[in-house]
Amino acid sequence: MLDSIVTIKDLKFRYRGEKELALDGIVLDISKGEFLVVMGASEAGKSTLMACFNGLIPHYTKGTIKGEVIVLGINTANSSVPQLAENVGIVFQDFEAQLFSTNVELEIAFGPENFAVPREEIRRRIEENLEYVGLEEFRHRPPFTLSGGQKQKLAIASVLAMQPTILVMDEPTTDLDPISKQGIFDITNKLRQRDGMTLIVVEHETEEALHADRIALIKDGKLVQVGSAQEILKQVDLLEELGVMPLGIPKFFKNIGETDLPLTPAEGIQTFSKIGWKISDDKYSQLLEKEKLTTQHNEQPIIQCRDLEFTYPNGVKALNGIDLDIYEGEIVAIVGQNGSGKTTLAKSFNGLLIPTNGDVMVNGLHTKEQGVFKIGQKVGYVFQNPDHQIFSELVYNEIAFGPRLRNVPEEEVDKIVKEALEAVGLTGFEEEDPFSLTKSGRQRVAVASVLAVQPDVLILDEPTTGLDYKEQRSMMDMVRRLNEQGSTIIFVTHHMWVVAEYAQKVFVIKDGRILLDGTTREIFAKEEILKASYLRPPHFVQFSNQLGKTFLSPKEMISCIERK
Amino acid sequence: MNIDFYIEADTVIHRLDGRTKILLFLFSFIVLVLFEDPLFILPLALLILLQSSLARAWVNIWRIRFLLIILTISSVIMWNVFASGETHLFWFVDLESLEYSLARTMVMLWMIISGMNLLSTTLNEELVLGMIKLGLPYRVGFAISTSLRMVPTISSNIYTISQAQRSRGLDLETGSIIERIKKYIPLLIPVFISTIRGTNVFGMALESKGFGARDDRTFYLKMEMEKRDFITLAFSIALMVFCLYINFLDFGNIDGLTKF
Repeated sequence: MLDSIVTIKDLKFRYRGEKELALDGIVLDISKGEFLVVMGASEAGKSTLMACFNGLIPHYTKGTIKGEVIVLGINTANSSVPQLAENVGIVFQDFEAQLFSTNVELEIAFGPENFAVPREEIRRRIEENLEYVGLEEFRHRPPFTLSGGQKQKLAIASVLAMQPTILVMDEPTTDLDPISKQGIFDITNKLRQRDGMTLIVVEHETEEALHADRIALIKDGKLVQVGSAQEILKQVDLLEELGVMPLGIPKFFKNIGETDLPLTPAEGIQTFSKIGWKISDDKYSQLLEKEKLTTQHNEQPIIQCRDLEFTYPNGVKALNGIDLDIYEGEIVAIVGQNGSGKTTLAKSFNGLLIPTNGDVMVNGLHTKEQGVFKIGQKVGYVFQNPDHQIFSELVYNEIAFGPRLRNVPEEEVDKIVKEALEAVGLTGFEEEDPFSLTKSGRQRVAVASVLAVQPDVLILDEPTTGLDYKEQRSMMDMVRRLNEQGSTIIFVTHHMWVVAEYAQKVFVIKDGRILLDGTTREIFAKEEILKASYLRPPHFVQFSNQLGKTFLSPKEMISCIERK
Repeated sequence: MNIDFYIEADTVIHRLDGRTKILLFLFSFIVLVLFEDPLFILPLALLILLQSSLARAWVNIWRIRFLLIILTISSVIMWNVFASGETHLFWFVDLESLEYSLARTMVMLWMIISGMNLLSTTLNEELVLGMIKLGLPYRVGFAISTSLRMVPTISSNIYTISQAQRSRGLDLETGSIIERIKKYIPLLIPVFISTIRGTNVFGMALESKGFGARDDRTFYLKMEMEKRDFITLAFSIALMVFCLYINFLDFGNIDGLTKF
């Protein structure tokens, strides 16, 4: 490497009180202006590695460290976090806890203030960065009143304002809609080209990693491979094995036996026209027929909204005239831009929020008359963060909490807990401490504890956020199983591939109204309208759209092609 | 849910310099404790209420009304127990001790109200900056303001968590007091855990943004004493001196009062 800006020499780190090494022999050179993406399963050591770049390890987080991290010629062990902060900015995964000022402007000012940047310059940086992330109109709002995605944008802006030479971001865009997510990567890339900023990012979304110079794959604290984005992303099997989502396009071409794999939609179209396959119109109409049969419903709607409006006490009108019907047995996705009202809508379904105008009915009964206790029996709600609900020392008690509150006899509770655990794939974990489980494990406990109330409808708020690809898959496979057993499922998400592969119907929310609704295939065919609400189908769906048909997964498309 | 005390508005009080607002709070504190006789406290109390009106802080005072009522009741009872006088009224209450208890209660209530006036009109950062300009070290000022800003963070956590538990069927509204306290346990643990986790990240974020990297530091907020600040301060200092003087002349005490 020519001018390497970060050099990591045989780095080993073990957290205090742990037996396993969190980082095990990392050797890495990063050159100035490079864009490096680090990918790997949960608990692989990605966040630990990120904390090494600005000296949080070993200065803040204690443990045993061996090897060296040299940043801009300085050994991090001989410096301090605040000192290193002048050059290394870091955005944390937990965006809630890193915001602490009383308004958006002051949050951005905090970093520059610490380095005695003159007031006029701070003002300029605030303006610049508010514009970058599109938060101008929120400048006087206290951060804790912003939506999840807006907080995440603010966290990024507040670090960018320090004008770091090296920007480290640990899953910075988990709560952003697809277009805002792309926006963040566009800005950081622009700064990289303009100012030679080095960009180091942990990311689960493979489509974002396409623009990286290099990708580092990490597993059990060891670097498995470091290579160009092209080189790494073509190894579909390796990615899948490491718990990283492979791109749909190379996966498709690999499965039909191609060896030179395209990555982007444009490359995909080129390759597809060259090789001897075409989409069979017959098979496609069969697919559509079959879909019609499975999504047909004659039953009564289970959830109905009529002219639903909701205004928060601070005057923000989050829902503005929603009419919708959700039928028994459906899997429905609610998608939309950050702050569009998705979560507010979902919370109206189980009576957590009572409409300020209009009606929500569950099984024909008004939520405003029933209240959350009664409706909760019919409509279960799994919150985004499982740590907001888990409190028991034993998984068993956590799941039994709901039924016991409703005075279900103990013998029956036992049966219910067993069934709920089985449904989420945690049989045998009854006596475990829920807090010792991984995030995905805790999320499963949360789902099980809601299932235990035996609701007809299950609402999941961002069920795949913060999970790696393997965990996301198994979470959603579980959700699908529950649906097959008769539950109606409603989920809110930013992960478009999850929508593509798991939802039957989609509601697109924009500014508190329904912009689009229909089957997933219908919705994802309308790329232009989706774009207006900051959404974008996954690459693979875009690719098939360009071929004139909408396929939601590589598997689906493979079943519909034939030799020319 | 909004649990921040700061009220976004542009009133005469809001426009005062942070230092002036802090000093006004301290002065109120000093003059309130001077007198034993509620009649002497009354004009001061009215002045502070005038400040509340100008600052539009009534919303916040209304929000803590239950706290104020509980404090009033318990304080009136307590001071009657701990003081006695010569004119017996009923039970353990004497005229002198009643007057005294009213005065003590007013002191406490008006200190809280005065604090509300400060918090309603002063941004946290303004408070820190004000304290620093008044001579406190930056780290101390920052620590005080951090503890203040934990309040909205924790309460918004509590709100989310109670929603999560309510949708599982937890009913926080009915039952006897003991039952209700028991029902709060499922809220407490997640609140503790998320707060502790949050504090850890908070510490990391703070250092990563260069907190304490240098001895000098700029402040984005502008703070300048203006004419209105000097007028306000001149008036309040004059008033304080006057109060100290009449207190020195032995006015404002209750004759025949015995304190334990």
